[in-house]
Amino acid sequence: MKLSNGLRLGALLSTAALVLTGCLSGNSGQGGGEGGEDPIRIGISLPLTGDFSEPGKGVRRGYEAWAGYVNANGGLLGRQVELTILDDQSNADRVAADYEKLINQDGVDLVFGPFSTRLVVPAAQVAEDYGFLFVEPAGAAEEVFTQGFDNLFYAAPAVANDHYNHLAEEILAMPAGERPETAAYAVMDDPFAQGTAYGLKEKLEAGGVRTVADEVYPPNTTDFGSIAAKIADSNADIMVGGTQYQDAVNLIVSLRQLGYQPDMAAFSTAPTNPEFPKAIGQQTEGIISPTGYTPEADYPSNKEFVDYYTEQNGAPPNEDEANAWTTGQVVAAAVEAAGCADPAPECQGKLIDWLHNNEVDTVVGPLSWDEAGRPQGAHLIQQYVDGEIKIVLPEDTKEADLIHPKPKW
Amino acid sequence: MSGPLLLQSLVLGVLLGGLYALLAAGLTLYFGVMRVVMIAHSAFLILAAYLAWFFTRETGLDPLLSLVFTVPLFFGAGVLMQRLLISRLRPATLTMMSVLLTFSIALVIEGTLGFAFSGTHRRIRLPYSGAHFELFGASIAVVKLIGFGLAGFSLVALYLLLKKTRFGQALRATMQHKDAAQLVGINTDRVAGYGFGLGLATAAIGGTALSLDSTIYPSLHWHWIGPLMAVIVVGGLGSVPGAAIAAMALGLGQSLLQIPLGTTWAQTFFYVALFATLMLRPQGFFGGRLAQRF
Repeated sequence: MKLSNGLRLGALLSTAALVLTGCLSGNSGQGGGEGGEDPIRIGISLPLTGDFSEPGKGVRRGYEAWAGYVNANGGLLGRQVELTILDDQSNADRVAADYEKLINQDGVDLVFGPFSTRLVVPAAQVAEDYGFLFVEPAGAAEEVFTQGFDNLFYAAPAVANDHYNHLAEEILAMPAGERPETAAYAVMDDPFAQGTAYGLKEKLEAGGVRTVADEVYPPNTTDFGSIAAKIADSNADIMVGGTQYQDAVNLIVSLRQLGYQPDMAAFSTAPTNPEFPKAIGQQTEGIISPTGYTPEADYPSNKEFVDYYTEQNGAPPNEDEANAWTTGQVVAAAVEAAGCADPAPECQGKLIDWLHNNEVDTVVGPLSWDEAGRPQGAHLIQQYVDGEIKIVLPEDTKEADLIHPKPKW
Repeated sequence: MSGPLLLQSLVLGVLLGGLYALLAAGLTLYFGVMRVVMIAHSAFLILAAYLAWFFTRETGLDPLLSLVFTVPLFFGAGVLMQRLLISRLRPATLTMMSVLLTFSIALVIEGTLGFAFSGTHRRIRLPYSGAHFELFGASIAVVKLIGFGLAGFSLVALYLLLKKTRFGQALRATMQHKDAAQLVGINTDRVAGYGFGLGLATAAIGGTALSLDSTIYPSLHWHWIGPLMAVIVVGGLGSVPGAAIAAMALGLGQSLLQIPLGTTWAQTFFYVALFATLMLRPQGFFGGRLAQRF
């Protein structure tokens, strides 16, 4: 009995102590926020394990580099930034719970988006429910922008359908003799890859370039002999691949084995992979690819980014890191302009409104958005020229002239 | 459908069928010799492909020369694997347990490849990767023809070994009736070990043929095991000529069906053939009486 009373007393005391600590820490948290001396806390959930772990880690490196750079240069609104990064295991249920926790329990001031369409949509929904600004580094497929979010902004130059816009303009502006008349498409059954190739297809068809072959294949396809045979049989003037990596490489080799020589060959994603020239060799000459980012681009902030990132990580950044850095730049621009960074709906509302009405200079160029958060730009067009991949379009940022027709492969 | 396209598809189908036959030969042998369902066969194919790629990257020599090392290595690995792992499974549950065991081996191989060479997709850059010649208007790629040649050579060698040599007789006796084979003095344990080694040696050749004309990555073997299993079931489990004929028929069928149906539906042809075989002729279309007992 005595012991039990003692226990009861102990329990009471510790409860009281806990309550008091809770009050105290609550007070200090609030006081700090108003004083403007506390760090700005940014909540992020990323796929650090599971299907998207490779790009997820790239995005984390970009976010961490951005935070390090901002803190080394006086912080944001004079406050340091502090990242809280959770692992959503590439799981769409986890990602929603993560943002719920970051906003509700951890009380972060701002959130940054996760990687990929599949995770961006549920995460953006949570941010929308709490009135938070949601800038995301990946999620270019059309379905991200048709959910009715007004708080979402994609921090990259273009949605998938607009990747080839510069190339489409260039082709349609060619004089009658040079201009291709027929086109063949080979496209992976994937929203992103299809978006890129069919975005170009729509524009070329509208401009009078006939489609003579249009092959869709499942993502696990490894044998491209028959697809190549159909394309070679169509003898199209240009060949467009909505590809990722191994499919483009296998398709190119299969086309060469059939002796098919198009005047122009464009593939998404694969040609920008450093492994691509190792696999294809000399025959890369003239192959075209759209890209959202290149360390060589001479946008004002890009050089600082590349130098800082290379110094910290020992290698130049690629597209995932750049898009993460861009996300940081976009949010920072809104925060500086609105003069606030806290979870209150008024502040978040100001940030969202500002981004809807302004353009931001970033490492991927100046960005502005439509109401649904689609960036209003197009991707740079790169081409292998003298064995190196160089920007050839648009005119004002090009490093080399577009080669047309392309040399034989 | 134009005439040249049809002819081209026929040629591609025959070449593809040859490759399927080579890749599936080992699988049907394991099942024939000891009722082992070898899920890891395609993982060994990818391992051999990686070794060929690694060999070429380090030495700059032609990947075909890597066969000098990989064939004995894989034969030895096969004997060891049979003696140390497979033979410890209880005969009563051998077929089912071998699925689990070889599944785990496949995972180990995939993980090791990822650890050693990362998940980056690799391809051997060959000076002749795009080389081809014309035959009646159809292109024949040199690398595919080499793969087909390797398949033909290996299958004929395997057939002769099984039919004409004392070891082949012993192996077939072990396949047909293990107890009777023991009664006439065959060391069935050793024969089974060699049989397994022979199966893996075909994986070394198949993987090298595969590496000439494909982009490889550690998880690629999951794409192959399904179609290869379909080939040996349609061909009749345990029959090497059956597997070869089935591989040719399926490769041709897939290639030709791609013209009207497209890639997505043409891929289902393998599984349609698998279901049809199981419904109409479960012992397989070309195989021997063997499979009827199981």
